[in-house]
Amino acid sequence: MRFVHCVLLGSPRGAATASRDVHLSEDHLSDEQLFERFRGGDAAALRTLIERQHDDLLRFLARLTGDRTAADDIFQETFLQVYQSADTFDTSRRFRPWLFTIAANKARDWLRKRSRRKTVELSAPVGGGVESRSASFVDLMEIDIQPPDAAMDIDERDRLVQRALEELQPALKEILLLAYFQRLSYAQIAEDLGIPLGTVKSRLHSAVASFARAWKRVSKELD
Amino acid sequence: MSHDDHRLETDDQARVDALLEHGFAPSAGPDADPDAGPVAGLLALLDTPIAGEQRAVLSDLTFLRVIRANEEPEAVLSQADAEALDSWIMAGSDAARTELPLRERAWRHERLAALATTPGPAFDGRAERVERTLAMVQEAAEADADRMRIEHRRGRAGLGGVRLADLVSVAAMLMLVSAIALPVLSNVRASARQAMCYANMGPIASAMGLYAGANAEALPMATAGFGGTWMNVGTTPEQSNSANLYTLVRTDHIPLAELACPGNQHAPTAVVSPAAWDWRSHDELSYSYRIVVPGQNTRWRLFVSDSSGPAGVLVLTDRSPVTLRASRGEPIVPEANSPHHGGAGQHALFNDGSSRWLESPVLGSGDNIWLPRAVERVIHQVRSRLGLIRGNEVPQSVEDAFVGP
Repeated sequence: MRFVHCVLLGSPRGAATASRDVHLSEDHLSDEQLFERFRGGDAAALRTLIERQHDDLLRFLARLTGDRTAADDIFQETFLQVYQSADTFDTSRRFRPWLFTIAANKARDWLRKRSRRKTVELSAPVGGGVESRSASFVDLMEIDIQPPDAAMDIDERDRLVQRALEELQPALKEILLLAYFQRLSYAQIAEDLGIPLGTVKSRLHSAVASFARAWKRVSKELD
Repeated sequence: MSHDDHRLETDDQARVDALLEHGFAPSAGPDADPDAGPVAGLLALLDTPIAGEQRAVLSDLTFLRVIRANEEPEAVLSQADAEALDSWIMAGSDAARTELPLRERAWRHERLAALATTPGPAFDGRAERVERTLAMVQEAAEADADRMRIEHRRGRAGLGGVRLADLVSVAAMLMLVSAIALPVLSNVRASARQAMCYANMGPIASAMGLYAGANAEALPMATAGFGGTWMNVGTTPEQSNSANLYTLVRTDHIPLAELACPGNQHAPTAVVSPAAWDWRSHDELSYSYRIVVPGQNTRWRLFVSDSSGPAGVLVLTDRSPVTLRASRGEPIVPEANSPHHGGAGQHALFNDGSSRWLESPVLGSGDNIWLPRAVERVIHQVRSRLGLIRGNEVPQSVEDAFVGP
């Protein structure tokens, strides 16, 4: 069994102060270099990593879970897992995709635990059945997608984006957010998720189409 | 699709039950439900013949029918949007770098991505969150260090229990840590392993002393002579030097766990067989023992105050990297430190019962603890003769790679 060679010691306040002093000089390092330092026993490196990933990772988790409190908890659990799995990380690879994949796994566990059974009303209108279920083509040119900086109430936009995301199947939502937050190539996503490249591509196409259609629907409320 | 995801509303379930009881005639019940009609109509969509005992099947099929009928058609990107998405991703998610005919759609993809990733309302308490996260990692790391220590102690106790003294010593360690309040992140696991390994030196010295006391001050010895090689760990005990050290275990002078360095994950902590004379392989060895040669009269000297004699004779160290590599047929590195402590150095036990941490295998006298003097001389000669570069050498040919300062 191999061990991570790092641990924080002493009073939290003392550790925090010292770490802050050191981490000022670590800002220029890459994530992977910081992680290597953390693994070698440098607390300040871990602090810099957490601070560097804070905003994106928290936003990613909030989007994925749709629950800001859960995102907060999973954020901490993710870094705990980073510590616990540090020995398994290959530093020739990139840190951030590894981090987000850990976070996505944690979020998936959380979603699974809280999944509620959907209820179905028999009196709801019944469609034409399996045979009539067909594809609905999405054309982005027909959808009003304002740039994020356009005048729009932040809270309202956030709520609607989340509602649109909630319409996606969990697997589609996960791959969409991983792709959007990480800006990776198909090959990189395939490698990080361990699924075939063709599957990544078709799943992401489907995810984007579903999100665009859902956004078209919910954004009508902005008008 | 399974029941786990979907259930009928309670009222609808009651209606289905009523229909089943009344032979699927919605108006047959005494209290005919006006909403039973749609339910009966829905059930009529089913092709499966219904019998009372097939209620579960009916329920499943009804689920499937209703759920699938209410599912949305699958969303599919238009061909142009699909191409634009591929192009945008290949351009590193930068629409400006996509091919011109697809650029307008690529911009739309970029905006869609921005929608999902642009910050919403700010998260409060960033600094506190970072501190909490660090504290959580710290707590886990400290728990790991404690667990390692207790597990190690438990192994040493050999009774599957923790002694009060062990708990006291863990508590003392924590208090010490707390009192010093070192504001540093240190390599505690490695340090803990090193400390545990160092802690083994005491029991080993005691065991050596007890053995020597009963054997005319002789160091533990099992072989009458090697007669070939002393490297045959586990195969021929009569030719293995480690079998000499194992004598301490065999004669109940020390538990095997005390001869297991935490830095060696392969080291056994419990005797595999009462008939064993040796460890089973080089990988299991934690300590390297002085090559004991009959006639050399190496003794265990307990009189540390006797300063008139020569400095203590080295008896035991953390595992030698040289014999380890040699046993695998790999080239040796004479100045390498033991592999057990990250190459930082090794513990050494001397025949006066003292132990030291050596940062290099080369002692102050120039003696390399991993090698006999004869080999050291050869290495020295080879290096002094062949290892000298005067500065006037040139590459043999164009193919001869040779770089200078």
